[in-house]
Amino acid sequence: MNLIGTSINHHTATIEQREALHLSKNEMTEFIGILRNNLLSDGFVISTCNRTEIFGLPVDNNLDISKIQDALLSYKHVDGLSNNNFLNFFSCGAVKHLFSVTSGIDSLILGDSQIHGQMKDAFQLSVDMNFAGTIMRRIFDTATRVGKRSITETEIGEGAVSVSYAAIQVVEKIFANLQNRSAIVIGAGETGELAALHLKDKGIGNLAISNRTLSRAEELARKVYGEIVPFENLHELLHNFDIVISATSSPGVILNYDEVKTIVKKRRGNPVCLMDLALPRDIDPAVAKLDGVFYNDIDTLGKIIDMNIRKREKEIPAVEAIILEEMQNLFSWYNTLEVIPTIKKIRDFFEEIRQEEIDKIKHKVHEEDIKKLDDMTKRLVGRLLHNPTIRLRQIAESGLNYQEVANYTSVISNLFNPEQVDEEINNN
Amino acid sequence: MLETIHILNFLLPLLYAATFAVYLTDFYKDKPALHNIKRIFLFVTLLIHTIYLVLWTIHFDHPPITTKFEIFSVLAFSIGFSYFLIELSTDIRATGTFILAISIIFQALSTVFIEDVINVPEVLKNRLLGLHVISALCGYTGVTISAVYALLFTVQYKRIKLNQFGLVFNRLPSLELLERLAVSSVMVGFALLTIAILIGTIWLPSAFPDFSYLDPKLLATGLVWLFYGAGLIVRLTSGLYGKKFMTYSIAGFIIAMISLGITGIIGSTFHQFSK
Repeated sequence: MNLIGTSINHHTATIEQREALHLSKNEMTEFIGILRNNLLSDGFVISTCNRTEIFGLPVDNNLDISKIQDALLSYKHVDGLSNNNFLNFFSCGAVKHLFSVTSGIDSLILGDSQIHGQMKDAFQLSVDMNFAGTIMRRIFDTATRVGKRSITETEIGEGAVSVSYAAIQVVEKIFANLQNRSAIVIGAGETGELAALHLKDKGIGNLAISNRTLSRAEELARKVYGEIVPFENLHELLHNFDIVISATSSPGVILNYDEVKTIVKKRRGNPVCLMDLALPRDIDPAVAKLDGVFYNDIDTLGKIIDMNIRKREKEIPAVEAIILEEMQNLFSWYNTLEVIPTIKKIRDFFEEIRQEEIDKIKHKVHEEDIKKLDDMTKRLVGRLLHNPTIRLRQIAESGLNYQEVANYTSVISNLFNPEQVDEEINNN
Repeated sequence: MLETIHILNFLLPLLYAATFAVYLTDFYKDKPALHNIKRIFLFVTLLIHTIYLVLWTIHFDHPPITTKFEIFSVLAFSIGFSYFLIELSTDIRATGTFILAISIIFQALSTVFIEDVINVPEVLKNRLLGLHVISALCGYTGVTISAVYALLFTVQYKRIKLNQFGLVFNRLPSLELLERLAVSSVMVGFALLTIAILIGTIWLPSAFPDFSYLDPKLLATGLVWLFYGAGLIVRLTSGLYGKKFMTYSIAGFIIAMISLGITGIIGSTFHQFSK
């Protein structure tokens, strides 16, 4: 398989460099136009905040891969990057790398499943632009399957690896059913939004948003079907919530020890979960000493993230086993592509001889007998070619020895050599 | 039949230990394959224990509730069976290790010290005694299970408070669930203890000529009953929630065990069925 791939990612470039090379959908469309000009016959381009990768089948087998990289660099006019910032992959290596990307084991956040959707979009663009033939489609289908299997058959995507999700994991160890609980998210920034979305996904009974800028609170509340608590009334109403997630950009503490103590008193022994996702912190960490108060900040939640990352790392061999299995399947299929023309040629050759012999006696026997002879010779040819065809396919599908496939194909072609036989017949 | 009873008696602690080992392995490994295997182990153990108890009752012509060590075997069964029902109804599978440890202790003591009691006084064959003992046993099973869940609550509470998010944090259920299980168990236990005390109050004076309301065992049981009753009332009226109630439940269990132990040592009670 002459698949090639080139990649610039978090292993080889800084975030600024990766950002500079990022291609929007419109840019990808334009860039595919450049690629198909004289570089690749089929392929696709994936570009995320962490990687830009180009995979494809070269127009010319001797294509210098650096030409693809140069095309990208000159298209984006990026300074400070060279061919050295790219990783190159060929044939098996390219397939393996692609599968590693889709499975999430090559992601910046190990096991990140966002890549699945991004890959799907990238490939759809290639299909829409008629830039994906049979082989590329098969490669992509297999890559998609690798991604799905990695998620369902291993624990590579298990556990929280973001602070907002880690906070929810702790909350779930305090309250059994979030449907009967109420939560408030203070701060409508990126972290606050993620936390609110996680709570909504977990089916929180009542969700409220509070933010200094009311319009941003309203915007997030609309997204998560939450209610709004005016920031100025926050302290009076906070005791009504079982879960408080704070992620503001306030320079100082917004909830001090005494205020939390008052909340605990008002809650009459019911536990309250305070998750401080802000930096600098929003809640006085001394509140952790209070009975019935469960307090966590970024540092303590980081422990959960580290633990989950370690667990995911243990799943890498299982994912690699899936990759290997799917690679074997893909290459079995691909190897059959090599023998199919030979099989077809031999079958056509036998069919031609059969037809000629039938034609020779066509006018000598009765029409009903011709039909019988026609059926009988078809069966005969079919049976004669059945075992060689199956065997050749099996050898190809085993995918273990490419040379063996080539030898068998060559022997069959030489023994029967349909073209040469045809020529001799014509000469005689 | 006696030989079969003796073999089963010997096998039971081993079966409980094997079940405990599977539960413990699953607690550490959390392998899906073990989830059903451990339940099968527990089911088989309980089934064999049931056969043992039935054979015992048939052979000795009385249920195994006339001596301390007979009762221990029933208690081991009762705790294991109650946990089996909890696991089936709640699908909480990670707490079996801790509950079954108690069953092992009771069954091991029973296996070692149980004696073949063939002749029991006629009074101990009374049906009311059966009801009295069974309800008391189930009551103690309830408070025992409650104490185990309360202990697990305390452990999980500390894990969360100290940000120790390791194996125990991951495997134990949420605090709310542990509290619910502890409270439900203690409520069932308290109700059954109440029934046991009521039956005892009605039946014992007529059955035992030397009956006295100041008997140490009656006083001890009354103390335990009052302790749990007070705790439940305070919970319902003033909100004795979370860690405080869990500590109370553990304290109740300790008081129950100490009082039973002391009255067992004193021994001067009409309430001692076998000499």
